[in-house]
Amino acid sequence: MEELIYKLKQEIIEVLNLEDMTPEDIDENASLFGEGLGLDSIDALELIVLMEKNYGIKLEDPSKGKEIFKSVAVMADYIQKNRTK
Amino acid sequence: MMRHYVTIQPDLAMLDGKFLESKEIGSALLVELYRNHIGDYPKFFKMDALCRVGFVASELLLQAENNVRFEPCDDRAVIFFNQSGSLNADTHYQATIQDPGNFFPSPAAFVYTLPNIVTGEIAIRNKYYGETSFIVLEQADSAVMARQLLNAFLDSATQSIIGGWINCDDDEHFDARLFIIERNEYADVETLAKDIETIKIQ
Amino acid sequence: MIVRIADNIVSPLGTTSEANYLAVKSGKSELKRYEGKWNLPEPFVASLIDRPSLDDEFAAHNIDDRYTFFEKVVILSSCKALANAKIDASSEKVLFILSTTKGNVHLLDANETGFPKERVLLGQAARQLTDFFHNPNQPIVVSNACISGVCAQIEAIRNLQGNRFEYVVVVGADVQSPFIVSGFQSFKALSVEPCKPFDADRTGLNLGDAAATIIYARRDAVMADEWVACRGAIRNDANHISGPSRVGEGSFRALKAVLGDFSRDEIAFINAHGTATPYNDEMESIAIERAGLSSVPVNALKGYFGHTMGAAGVLESILSMKAIDDHTILATRGYNNIGVSHPLVLSNQNCPTEKRAFIKLLSGFGGCNAALLFVKGGQQ
Repeated sequence: MEELIYKLKQEIIEVLNLEDMTPEDIDENASLFGEGLGLDSIDALELIVLMEKNYGIKLEDPSKGKEIFKSVAVMADYIQKNRTK
Repeated sequence: MMRHYVTIQPDLAMLDGKFLESKEIGSALLVELYRNHIGDYPKFFKMDALCRVGFVASELLLQAENNVRFEPCDDRAVIFFNQSGSLNADTHYQATIQDPGNFFPSPAAFVYTLPNIVTGEIAIRNKYYGETSFIVLEQADSAVMARQLLNAFLDSATQSIIGGWINCDDDEHFDARLFIIERNEYADVETLAKDIETIKIQ
Repeated sequence: MIVRIADNIVSPLGTTSEANYLAVKSGKSELKRYEGKWNLPEPFVASLIDRPSLDDEFAAHNIDDRYTFFEKVVILSSCKALANAKIDASSEKVLFILSTTKGNVHLLDANETGFPKERVLLGQAARQLTDFFHNPNQPIVVSNACISGVCAQIEAIRNLQGNRFEYVVVVGADVQSPFIVSGFQSFKALSVEPCKPFDADRTGLNLGDAAATIIYARRDAVMADEWVACRGAIRNDANHISGPSRVGEGSFRALKAVLGDFSRDEIAFINAHGTATPYNDEMESIAIERAGLSSVPVNALKGYFGHTMGAAGVLESILSMKAIDDHTILATRGYNNIGVSHPLVLSNQNCPTEKRAFIKLLSGFGGCNAALLFVKGGQQ
């Protein structure tokens, strides 16, 4: 799990162009949106693509993203349970 | 001549006719200018090249202007021209859908496939609620640009314009020549066209 | 004053403004579900032109295969409008303004051959149009996302206020492609059924093909049955590059600017953007209320044509003029139950009106918003 969390942080930094950030800078329990990393709606859509591309998880209902993208830890947990690749 | 004008090309940056110190080239130059002169706007790294060059150029202009910044403003328009539209962003987005076996359309790439996004980025940064507009031309034509810019003052709300040419062929090749003009600063199209030409030659 | 002297619409519903108006008035739409089209993995609903159906019209106007389909519909729509206007399009007193968002973007696909790649440049595509008519002026391409069609008309008004031009031909057009459809799908912005503007169950927009043309002229005096494009305004939300302002800031400001001292009681309707995405329609309801226009009827035409992008502002302006000529407020197709937080006067039936003015309203990516006030016979 820890490995997945670390990998996910790297992927998030890459696809969302979080320049100047390292995986160590991201608290896996902190909120991704709003206060935490300050991500926005386009970032959320890009995370949906990341899940499909890298883990084979197709999120049909984008509003479900709200729960899944709560934090890196929650996201990793969801990926662990639902991944197809 | 306009009071404030800026040129950014892959190998140089000039503000009000003076070279800005830099050692990088192309996309690295834009990051260098961002770090040396701006530095507090992480959204910069999400932008495509057209927005990056427009953002950096507008920041340099506004720093030179030295007015109060980031206060809501409803009398300044942002009006740009270019030849390539959003071609660079279009090419990046096309790459995400070209291969049917690796078909993952990227929303973060798609959002930049409109040239006017750069005018929106500048409006957001500066709380500009005025007119924003983007016009694509077959080729740079100072007289056409001057005519369109002076026409924009027909909207009585518009007191000043950040305007000019901003082209981006790919991530490493761009050309921005932007300036600020005020209402009543130019009486006719010919004089403004001449000053736009002057920025081009420098 | 700036007067409309001719117009045309080429869409799946017909190739004249009249045919399109009558189709809309009778509630027709060519919105269809496509599965596997262009090998896209997900189905979509769109209003697409059956391309071979236009071959005879292209041939009749000498529009040959030198041109892409996008260029062909642009030229066809201009030809038909110009034929009604009876003006010399090769004159230096005529300016062409093209409103488009994606032009020939399909040429970027590696499998597309047969046309020079440079034609993907919007200026080059526009040059095909002006060369066709031997017009000497550099064409202006307005590319302000989904508000382009209103911006192009505002540029026409401004250019006619000087003496340089006597006529401006405004053409708005976009044709759909895998590029555009997949992009909107990645934004989760497309509905998988015909769109429902302002409805409680709306789930997103549909895309559409169209080209539409309005020719404007400058006049000192206006007759009672002539349409005047009075005042336009473009305003930014200064909020987000893809999401509309939660308080309808730019849209409200554009409405306020075009209203001026014009009496709200004289406005027959506001022809809204009404894309049927949850955020857009909600935002428009807020802006309309803030502008004090809650009692003015609102309609949206995306349920007939889908979102035709660069064409939308021109196409929807033409149909709104025709509707008032016919004393009608066109129905909002797809609308059933109010689904925005600020009450609006909406109907899914055509309604009568004797008023002679309307406002065309649009919003787009980049936080831009535009409004344009039209008054039949001019502002008194």
